[in-house]
This record gives sequence, structure tokens and C-alpha cells, in this order.
Amino acid sequence: MTEVQLVDVEKRYGSFVALQKQSLTIQQGEFLVLLGPSGCGKTTTMRMIAGLEEVTSGKILIANELVNDKPPKDRDIAMVFQNYGLYPHMSVAQNIEYPLKLRGMDKATRNKRVLEIAIKVELESLLKRRPSQLSGGQRQRVALARAIVRTPKIFLMDEPLSNLDAKLRVTMRAELKHLHHELGVTTVYVTHDQMEAMTLASRIAVMREGRIVQLDTPKNIYSKPDNLFVAGFIGSPSMNLIEGDVRSGFFRATAVKIPVQFQDATSVVLGVRPEDLKIVSKNSAPITASVYAIELTGESTLVTMKHEATSICVRESADYEARINDVCHIAARTTGKLHLFDKSTGQRISTCSVKPTKC
Amino acid sequence: MRDRYFPYALLVPAFVIVLATTIYPLAYSFITSFREWDLTRQRRPSDFVGFGNYQHAITEAAFQSSLWVTIIFVFTSVLLTLVLAILLSLLLRRQGPLHTFTRIILILPFAMSPALIGVSYRFMFNPEFGVIAVGLGSIFPTLKGIPWLANPNLAMAILVLTDVWHWTPYMTFMCLGGLASIPRETEEAAKIDGASSFRVMWEIVLPQMKGVILITAILKTIFALKMFDQVVTLTGGGPGISTETLAYFVFKVGFKWFDMGYASALAWVLTLIMIFISFWYVRILLNENRAIIK
Amino acid sequence: MKKKLIWAAEHALLVVVSFMIIFPIFWMFLTSLKRPIDAYSITFNFQPTFENFITVFRDPWNLGSMVLNSALVAGITVMIAVPCSSLAAYSFSRFRVKGRKILFFLVLSTQFIPAVVIVLPFFLMFRSLGLLDTRIALIIVNLAIVTPFVIWMIKGFIDALPVDSEEAAMIDGASRLRVIRDIVLPMATPGILTSSIFCFILTWNEFLFSLILTRRNAVTLPVGLVNFRTERGDLWELMSAAGVLITVPIFLMAILIQKHFTRGMTAGAIK
Repeated sequence: MTEVQLVDVEKRYGSFVALQKQSLTIQQGEFLVLLGPSGCGKTTTMRMIAGLEEVTSGKILIANELVNDKPPKDRDIAMVFQNYGLYPHMSVAQNIEYPLKLRGMDKATRNKRVLEIAIKVELESLLKRRPSQLSGGQRQRVALARAIVRTPKIFLMDEPLSNLDAKLRVTMRAELKHLHHELGVTTVYVTHDQMEAMTLASRIAVMREGRIVQLDTPKNIYSKPDNLFVAGFIGSPSMNLIEGDVRSGFFRATAVKIPVQFQDATSVVLGVRPEDLKIVSKNSAPITASVYAIELTGESTLVTMKHEATSICVRESADYEARINDVCHIAARTTGKLHLFDKSTGQRISTCSVKPTKC
Repeated sequence: MRDRYFPYALLVPAFVIVLATTIYPLAYSFITSFREWDLTRQRRPSDFVGFGNYQHAITEAAFQSSLWVTIIFVFTSVLLTLVLAILLSLLLRRQGPLHTFTRIILILPFAMSPALIGVSYRFMFNPEFGVIAVGLGSIFPTLKGIPWLANPNLAMAILVLTDVWHWTPYMTFMCLGGLASIPRETEEAAKIDGASSFRVMWEIVLPQMKGVILITAILKTIFALKMFDQVVTLTGGGPGISTETLAYFVFKVGFKWFDMGYASALAWVLTLIMIFISFWYVRILLNENRAIIK
Repeated sequence: MKKKLIWAAEHALLVVVSFMIIFPIFWMFLTSLKRPIDAYSITFNFQPTFENFITVFRDPWNLGSMVLNSALVAGITVMIAVPCSSLAAYSFSRFRVKGRKILFFLVLSTQFIPAVVIVLPFFLMFRSLGLLDTRIALIIVNLAIVTPFVIWMIKGFIDALPVDSEEAAMIDGASRLRVIRDIVLPMATPGILTSSIFCFILTWNEFLFSLILTRRNAVTLPVGLVNFRTERGDLWELMSAAGVLITVPIFLMAILIQKHFTRGMTAGAIK
């Protein structure tokens, strides 16, 4: 069943186009993440769903009902803000209680409900405090509690974890995921953090310059990026992108010669993830370059190599050792994938698994 | 859609007040400025006399004098206030108990009634029993018995002094606000790069205060043009007409001579000067805002 | 060594500045406690008396009615100006409505119109309406000066409030008016209070309007000062006592809001 539908929605601020005529359908119970760099229109999209911004043209439907002219309060949504949006002059309990109060619920039921939710998010000992007396993580919980205290049609979350420190972010991420599983409420989540997007989403909409450039499951976004932008944006370190040509079964660029199954083409970009490459000793290997930097991340070693202007990153095992300026040879891993993109349009034209080649 | 009118609805009460209390009187006095209306002789205004009142103003020596007095007053008072405020804000920027104390009492002159300030200074500069006049006289015998307020130049100087005393605190607060918005890093970087404290002030801090200083200067100019209370309570425009500012001259023509047509024309001359300056001010203010937002 | 010298110079300057601020005020307080004889000499050695504070309330000075006039005029002006200005300030701060810039420009500009320009037509109007020498007349003209200023000031405070909480409340189900009542007002209270006190001070100290529009019944304190200039000369000790009465409540208020005050007026001007 469809929960949220955007039909040809456009948003302009004067001559500036924040969102260019986009359509998007969100299914009931889905966890949809809007992912993109700052200024790509993801927050604007969410705020239009919330009713905090008006659409310039197009239609927004929630549960098959047109909501364009409805104020936020009549859309039956809940939202968690980046800076939490807590009410500084109210206690934690009053913060959580406020949405219920606005709905005219009686005092006793309200108190009961607040306590229930507080226990769920482990705030029961802090109910009397003011938001200013809480830590970032605790404020985050209050914001969450206020959102889930009633059961809305949709949850909207605008970078809710971005103000937390790295460790807390990982914990909260897992909690959000669990909560979504438990409540099953349709969720739209805005972030610029690909890790959050990958781990939380049922589907990700990658956005750029006011446009959705790919809408798919996290798995497909990662393994089959539709275009160069998604390829470069998702993955850390990002996919190696090498410009070159395909001639008689080989992708060729300076110091690069990789066998691919594709007809001859000029101006293409070869994309391959660092973990799909390995360093080999054979000097007949497809790529030759010298070591530029070696970074140990703990579970693996990232080796950056350079040959003239071409820079290539390879993920090697944690015990890999080399010295800077050593000349190395790079080959594709047997399980890896190669992507070919059209350089002018940026669209993916082919993805092929690497065949074990004897080189 | 009801929401669309909500922002306008909020503006209505305030705008009713502004329209009724400033726009309407302005229009009223604009019309009056083209009429002859001497309250001592006429109950109702006469017919329109064109630019007669304005021509009268341009040719009258008292008007020219008041314009000149205003220019001198505004110039000296703005300059002194500004320099003092900048210096004082640099001094008060540091932390310390005496700094905090000074910052707290700094609000007092500003909160004091300007009329009362005029009265107090008149008292203190009384040649016989004024504490400042007598005090200065006993330190510098040449200044003994000088009738401060009876000398045109000295009276003007004291008038400026009261205004500077009254406004320097406010302007200092503005400069302090401007200083606070300068990122500390720029100064620290300059110090590490080897600049002396003086050069850091001159080459790093002051250039960054340019915007605030400009706003402060224009704001002070406007306040100086409006200054009125001390003229009444300190000098009464005297000796002679040597401290009669434009604002005081309008008052005199309107409420001592009751020549309403002429007074309205003079008021409009003053208003035009103000509109010109405040237009300039608002433009800078809006530009500054844009710079801060972007 | 050099550091100590700078420290000493800095503190010496601060002492001088503080002295220059305090001395005129101190002298007024001192004079208000002197008998007429002592007031005309520069002595610190005198028998303090509260006689002056009693005299000013007696005939012919009757400061009591002036205190009442001042308090009523300032109080009612605040009660009208602040609520209206708060709503307008909120609108200016939060909504990007058409013509907003022009309207705000209008508000900013009107506060620069000299009081003497406004009072001229009002004098003529009140004269024909028979409102001269009434408190209502004073309140009306004071609104002209105070309203734009308060809009400007409160806008500065509201601009500094995060908009998140308001949006959260709208999503939680609050109507526009409810958001203002439940969220904006409580959050903006310090700012509104500061602006109210500021507005009170401006009106309380106002001199020109009262000088022109009142004769006997509605005279306010600052104009009352002029009464002590008699044919027998200026009665400094009584004038000082009246000055103290004008000043003390204002000083207490000013110090109360000192912290917010600084932020408020700079916020309005710079941001």
C-alpha cells in the first residue's frame, strides 16, 4: 500500500530551483532514506512532506489524500529535528506530553502514555529535568520519545544523529532500526552520511542538485550504481574511477590494461571499488603504479597508488606492508566487479564480474 | 488558505499604530507646511502659500544659524562619541572585575533622562557653586570664575559633552557586540605570525569592525540630529541663539511664536535630512545582514 | 615588567572612566541630601537631610501627581506597544511575506523621525480635540516613538531563537496561534521583558512631548524639573531630589536587564 506519494513536485525559491519536478512513491512500513550532499534538496523534500514548506507545483499525497494545502498539524506526521527542536521551557515529561495534550487526551491517559514511552527510551529517571540539563544523547531520546508517543502515519527524521558523537551515533542507529522494526511506521530519513543510509534504509534515494539520481535498495545502490555520481558518493574510500577507452576486449588507460567484455568504445570511465582490487607481484598485471600512501584502518590497509595523474586505491589485508614509492602491480580480485560508465552522460553502461584472467 | 494571511494579520496592530502616529502626522504637517497658519492670529489655516514657508526658511538668518549650529554639534558629538566608544570597547573587551564593574555602570548614563543630564551639567558648570567649574578653577587658576554657559563656544562644548556622556555607553555596547562577532582566531593567527599588539589592533581588529563602526556612526548622527532635551534644560538655546539647533528652532517657531506653517516647513527640512541619512543607514544595515547570512 | 605596566595603565583608565560615569550621578545624589545653604557650596562636610524629598511632594511642587503621570503614561504605553510590536516582530522574523522588506524599511525609518516633527501636527490635532494636557495625548505620541524601536528590538531577540521548536510544535499538532502562545512567548519572555523595560525607560525619560502637550494636569517628571527654575533662581537641592526620584527606578530596571539589554540593542543593530 502506498503511504506517501510525490507527483511532479517542484520547489523554487525565486529563481533558485531547490527541487526539480520529482516523483517518488514511498510504501507503507518502508524506511526510505534521502541521501545526498548538502544543498541537494533532501531536507527541502522532507519539509514539504511535513508541510513546513509549500510546494511550488506538483502534488503530495499522504495515504492517497492530497495534502498540499493542509498545515502540518493536520497531516498526522511526527518529526525528529537535527537540533531536536525540544521545548526548552518545558520539562522532559511535558515535552513528550505536548502532542497528546494538543490532541485533547485526558491527563491520566497522558501520564500513563508518557511513562510507557519514557521507559521504552530509558528516560524514566529524567522526566522532571529541562532539556538544557540533558546530554546530547538524552536530548535525542526525548525528541524520539515525543515522536513515538502517538502513532503517526509517517515519521520524518532530519539528520537526527548528526549532532551526536561517533560512538553514540552507532548505538542510536541500531536503536532506530530496532524501533522501526517494532513499530513498523513508514519512515522518511534525511542524511548525508552514507553509513547511516546503508545500514538503516529499506530503500535509498540518492539526491543531487534537486534531483533523485538513483532510488534503490542499499545493496543495489552499492553494487550497481546507476551513474558516476552515485558511484563516487557511496563507499568509503570511494570507487576508483579511471578514464580511458575500450579496444578489442581491453579497457585501456595510461599504465592500465584490463580485460572487459564490452564492445569498443571511446571516452568511458571504468569504476572499480578498492576491495575489488588486489596487489600482485606479477609485472604483467593490468595496472602498474607506485605507492603514494599507506593507511591502516584496523581491519584492512588502504594503499593509494599513483601513476601520473591516475590515482588508485586498493584495500589490502591488515598485515600488508609496503614502502612509499615502491612500484606495484594491481589486478582485479576474482569476486570483484567492474563498472563501465559513459563519460559524457555519466550513466552506467555495463557491469561485469571479473573473470579469472591469466595475466 | 488561511495560513497565507496569518503573517499579515500579525502585522496589523503595529501598523495601525505606526500609520496613525507617524505617517498621518507627517502627512498633516506636510500639508500645513504649504499654508500660512499663525496660531496667535488665525484659528484656521489660510489657503496654500506654495513654497513660501520654505523660501522664508532659506533666507532667514536664524534658520541658517540653527543649521550651522546643528552641523557643528552633530559633527563634534559624533566624532567624539565614536572615538571614545571604540577605545572604550577595546578596553572593556578583556575580562576582569573592574572591567565587569565598568560595563555594568556604563548603562547608567544611557538610562538617565537627557533632560536631567542637562540640568545636572548646568548645575555643575555654575561658575559660583558648580562643582566642575569651581574644581577646575582651583586646579587651573586661569579658569577661575569663567561664566561657562554664558560663552557661546564653551556653552556649545558643554552641550556636546552632555551628549557624549549620554551616548558613549550605548555606542560602546554596539562596538562590543561587533568585537564579539570577530573570530578570535584571526587575532591569534596574526599574533603567531609575529604582529605586535598595536598592529593586531590596527590591521586585524579595526578593519573587521568597519561595518559596526559605520552603523554606529550613522546611528549616532541620527540621534545627534534629534537631540533636543539638553538644549532646553542646559542652555535654553543661548547665549543668544548660539546653541539653537534645528530641532530647537522648530520648537521655538512652533511653540513660542506659534507660527505653525513655518514650523511645519522647518520640520520637513529636518525630516528630509533624516530620511536621507536613515535611507543610507537602512541600506547598509540590509547589506550587512546579507553578508552575515551568506 | 611591560605586562604589569600595561595592566596598571588599563586599570587606571578604567578607574577614570568609572569616575566620569559615576561622578555627575553621585553629585546629584549628594546635593539632594543637602540643605539649601550647603547646596550652594562645594562641601562634602554637611548635615545630611531628607527634607528635600518631602518638600518636593508638597505644594507648590506636587511631584506626587507627576510621578503618577509618568508611571501611568509609561506603563500604559508599554502595555499597548509591546504586545502589538511582539506580534509584528514575530511576523518579520519568521515569515518571508511579500513586501516584507518595504514594510520593515518603513518601520526602521519612522524611528528616525525627530520627535519635534511628530509633535507639531499632534499639537494641532489635540488642540482641536481638546486633548491637550491629558495623559491619553502623551500615550499616543509616545507610541509613535516607541513602537518601531520595540519591533526592531524584539525582532532581534526572536531571530536568535531556534525555529526548530516552533516547527516541532506545528508537527506535533499545534495551530499557528497555539505555537505563539505555547512555544514562542515562553521562549521570548526574557527578550520581551527587556524590551518592555527599555520601552518604559524611553517613555519615562521623555521630555519634549510632555513639555509641549501638557500644562498642569498631565505634566511628567522630566518636565517637572524645569519648574524648579524660579525667579529666586534655580533650586538645586530640590531639583536634585526630583532628579533622584526620576533616576532611581530607572537605574534599578536598567541594572536588572543589563545583560540582556546589551545583547538586545546590539542584536537589533548588527544582525
